Amino acid sequence: MGQRETFRGEFGMTISRRGMLAGAAAMPVLMRVQDALAQGVTPRRGGTLTMMLTPEPPVLQLGVNNQAPTIAAATKIFQGLVTFSPKLEPIPVLAKSWTISPDGREYTFRLQENVKWHDGKPFTADDVVFSITKFHMELAPRARSVFSLIDSATAPDPHTVRFTLKRPFEPFLLMLDASTAAMVPKHLFDGQDYRTAPAVQRPIGTGPFRFTEWQRGNFIRMDRFEEYWKPGQPYLDAIIYRIVPDSQSRRLALETGQALLSQGNDIEPFDVPQLRQRPNLEVQTTGWEYFSPLSWIETNHRVKPLDDARVRQAISRAIDRNFIAQRLWFGIGKPATGPFASSTRFYDPNVKLPGYDPRAAQQLLDAAGLKPNAQGVRFSVKHLVLPYGEIWSRLSEYLRQSLSRVGIALELESTDAGSWSRRIANWEYETSVTFVYQYGDPTLGVERTYVSSNIQKVNFANTGGYSNTKVDELFAKGRNAADAKERQAAFSEVQKILVEEVPQIWLMEMTFPTIHDRKVRNAVTTGLGVHASYDDVFLAS
Amino acid sequence: MRDFWRRYRRNKGAVLGLVILFLVILMAILAPVLFPGSPWDMVSAPFMPPGEMGLLLGSDSLGRDVAAGIAHGARISLLVGAVSTLAALLIGVTLGAVAGYLGGFADDAVMRFTEFFQTIPSFVLAILLVAIFNPSISSVVFAIAVVSWPPVARVVRAEFLSLRSREFVQAAEVLGKSRLSIVLTDILPNALSPIVVLASLMVATAILLESALSFLGLGDPNLMTWGFLIGAGRSVIRLAWWMSVFPGIAIFLTVLALNLVGEGLSDALNPRLARQRGAA
Amino acid sequence: MDPTKLIGFLLRRGLKAAIVVLAIVVCNFLLVHAAPGDPASVIAGQSGAADPLFLEQLRKQFGLDQPLYVQLWVYLKSVLTLDLGFSHRQQMPVASLILDRLPATLLLTGAAFVFAIVTGVTLGALAARRVGRWADSLITIIALTFYATPLFWVGLMLVLLFSVWLEWLPSFGMSSVGVELHGMAAVLDVAKHLLLPALTLGLFYLAVYARLTRATMLEVADQDFVKTARAKGVPEGRILRAHVLRNALLPVITFAGIQAGQLIGGSILVETVFAWPGIGRLAFDALLARDYPVLLGVFFCTSVMVVLFNLVTDLLYAVVDPRVEVSG
Repeated sequence: MGQRETFRGEFGMTISRRGMLAGAAAMPVLMRVQDALAQGVTPRRGGTLTMMLTPEPPVLQLGVNNQAPTIAAATKIFQGLVTFSPKLEPIPVLAKSWTISPDGREYTFRLQENVKWHDGKPFTADDVVFSITKFHMELAPRARSVFSLIDSATAPDPHTVRFTLKRPFEPFLLMLDASTAAMVPKHLFDGQDYRTAPAVQRPIGTGPFRFTEWQRGNFIRMDRFEEYWKPGQPYLDAIIYRIVPDSQSRRLALETGQALLSQGNDIEPFDVPQLRQRPNLEVQTTGWEYFSPLSWIETNHRVKPLDDARVRQAISRAIDRNFIAQRLWFGIGKPATGPFASSTRFYDPNVKLPGYDPRAAQQLLDAAGLKPNAQGVRFSVKHLVLPYGEIWSRLSEYLRQSLSRVGIALELESTDAGSWSRRIANWEYETSVTFVYQYGDPTLGVERTYVSSNIQKVNFANTGGYSNTKVDELFAKGRNAADAKERQAAFSEVQKILVEEVPQIWLMEMTFPTIHDRKVRNAVTTGLGVHASYDDVFLAS
Repeated sequence: MRDFWRRYRRNKGAVLGLVILFLVILMAILAPVLFPGSPWDMVSAPFMPPGEMGLLLGSDSLGRDVAAGIAHGARISLLVGAVSTLAALLIGVTLGAVAGYLGGFADDAVMRFTEFFQTIPSFVLAILLVAIFNPSISSVVFAIAVVSWPPVARVVRAEFLSLRSREFVQAAEVLGKSRLSIVLTDILPNALSPIVVLASLMVATAILLESALSFLGLGDPNLMTWGFLIGAGRSVIRLAWWMSVFPGIAIFLTVLALNLVGEGLSDALNPRLARQRGAA
Repeated sequence: MDPTKLIGFLLRRGLKAAIVVLAIVVCNFLLVHAAPGDPASVIAGQSGAADPLFLEQLRKQFGLDQPLYVQLWVYLKSVLTLDLGFSHRQQMPVASLILDRLPATLLLTGAAFVFAIVTGVTLGALAARRVGRWADSLITIIALTFYATPLFWVGLMLVLLFSVWLEWLPSFGMSSVGVELHGMAAVLDVAKHLLLPALTLGLFYLAVYARLTRATMLEVADQDFVKTARAKGVPEGRILRAHVLRNALLPVITFAGIQAGQLIGGSILVETVFAWPGIGRLAFDALLARDYPVLLGVFFCTSVMVVLFNLVTDLLYAVVDPRVEVSG
């Protein structure tokens, strides 16, 4: 299955490409370079890219820490076996090519040759086996949940790795991006406490940039790794991440050119329209297809009347998602249509949430037996404001006003990050707002919120307590089927049921703006966006 | 009483303060009449400058009326100021009375306790308390009360120390009156003047504290207060300066008024205290 | 003053101070741990995924799996050896983190303090000298204005005026981002950034000192020994300096002493508005992230400073007014 073709790119590199899904067209690998060439721009070597990072990460070792800023910065130092295009097709990185056995249980990866760690030692299959079966297994919950399916991991030769799974797991490849399973050097971690190993403070990876200096509260500096395995790359001499704690300062840094690129939460949505006006800046909202954050009103089904599907449907219809997307987020992101984001695999465009209709909402509440009292209030419910920025406060305020129009009194509670996290995990809330990453595949990022087996007291689980055996069955089918068509059928059906029951009230498919000077090229080319290695980024003159 | 007003009126600033205070209280009472509905209602396009679309002071990031926010916010600010001051007075007067009247070990213990309290920066302690108890109007009032009582205790203690050795107190003791009754009926009324002056200043400080907490996002999210308005306006100050300017003016005027009134009270009350001290 | 008395005083007060600080440490520890949630839950909430093992590992790493009294004991022991612990969030020992950020706060509060005292006392003295005249009224009004306005609002207004509208001064941070400056250029850069925050913090205290100075000077000027000196024909200026000012300074010193301890707490607001990298903001961020060692470390430092300042104030008192006895 699949084809094997060889490209010889402009710079004398040999690339091979391989399709992952049976019959799916694979993407040309160096398309972005060819795009650049097609535009008549030859990548220019040299220059330092100054970016910003908010907030400052505690460490740069992926695995030990998987918070957002760590992933953004450390993916320049560390790499995974593959990465993904905006359509979530796999792109070879440290894995030159791969084959999957017909039964879907055996993955054989052929690794790139001449790859060195930043300390000069060679990257081999042993590092891959260690990273996946030991390092990330021990440290990372997400990795643990999938890599525990690995029955055996062998390295027949220094450039071949073979994983045999206990049963077929079709989205297995999606776990092998640097953001989830970065390759780490076995010789620096094996046999030690991974969290306190010295390598954590001086990260050593295979990426195009090596860690140079970190002045806490000030900047992180990475310089070109001269022995990077792609000849001629990276084009940049160095990357500097400036730590600028204040959002207005960051905006100014971008305007004055002190920073050439902002990402993630650096710039507040209300500042984006003005920055769009600047002729020298470009605003991109792509690059989040892999993570696909989806925001929703987190609903605790243990609290009446939230256990009634009609009530949840009513809440859903009382909210104008277009207003939220346009007015609160200034057009960054788009209204959600259901539990799956449109960029996630197996999204069914035919299944959509019904639209904004306050009257319909009131009818649903009447049908549920919740009549308004003398003040027009049908029932009141508490709401925990998400403490990750002002925009979430504005959202909660908007929700309160919208719901009050249909007779639901939302009582806001504010907490800080520590309390919020704990209360959600321990089910000590009635409603809240949250956003959760989809990680490209329903089994990886969506299922965990809706299956009854995942009702536990931990964040990012089924904290709402929703339980539907049909939904459990369908997600199980989707998880275990080896064939993509079977998975699509299961997921389409489950989307239909979920959109009907509205176990969580989805609000927006989120994205974060990447704003950069026009001379920065290739800032966002893959589905990982700014979480890519940046070996092909250059500063045009 | 007329004497008191005569003396009070002599201080022009104090009169001005009283007038301003009266206007603020009036605005607070009339808020639902002047600006019906909730200040949280989104009534216009966002970021409208003052004067446009019929909004006197402009609109904020969600299109809410800033003037309505200020008027309704007055109620919360005054309420929080009054209640937390009352609570602080309760704690402070009790502790100060105990220390001043009983003296000895009780005095030592209370003084150490007060000193200890004053070593923790009060604002930091307030933030910590609000974080522990979740931001809400009650936790804010509690936090302000807890950090504001030490000066009250000191003042009350000083007053009680000086008053307890006075003849009329000794007379009461000889008569066999209970300690509590002596404290409440004999000493406390004579110690009232400095407490009253202190109280008016404390209400001002409480309003400042509450606005600072709200500014940092630690206020009750269901109540639109002046501090909240300024905090919400801070990040968009380049887009909408009116969101930050006007609520601040409201705080300034109210706190100024309270300070002027406090000074006026001090001037008006002191001659009487002096006369009493001389007369006894 | 008798040297043996002084030493005795210092020893007695020193011991008392140490006990007070210890009590503060214990209370702060209990207070800080009373806040719901812990650093593990903060990290779990921000990692995109979590499971019970993850939380357990984090709690173990932070030493939070021990019962509270064990944690307290461990902390006390380390504090006694002046080891303030390790911040996992910042990956630095707490002591070096605080030392890193303390200079910024000291610079800010020091500048504000000096500005406030010098300008405040001068204005207050001026107002007392010309009591009843227009200069007095003007100064009193100015003082009242700055006393009554919220600190953070003054800061915002200054930013609006000088940074947004006039574009004369930067609105945030301690130094320009992205530029590497050395020597005099660096000093000037910091000075430019320091101006607005120091002014904001200083204006409030200026009002306090102005009013305090004016009030005490008026009170002292009314007293007998001053009237006697005046009757004797001593020049007014000399009266002012030798007698009035000296005595009026006592309450100012007391107040300044209390203020000095409070300046750390007061700097949180200014540091927030101006993104000034000081320990006030450090404490606030540590609270939000439940970074216990950092928060407790900052409290420890501030309480030590307050206690020290109280000591210094008492000593100064004794020096300025020989009638004050140095008693324990």
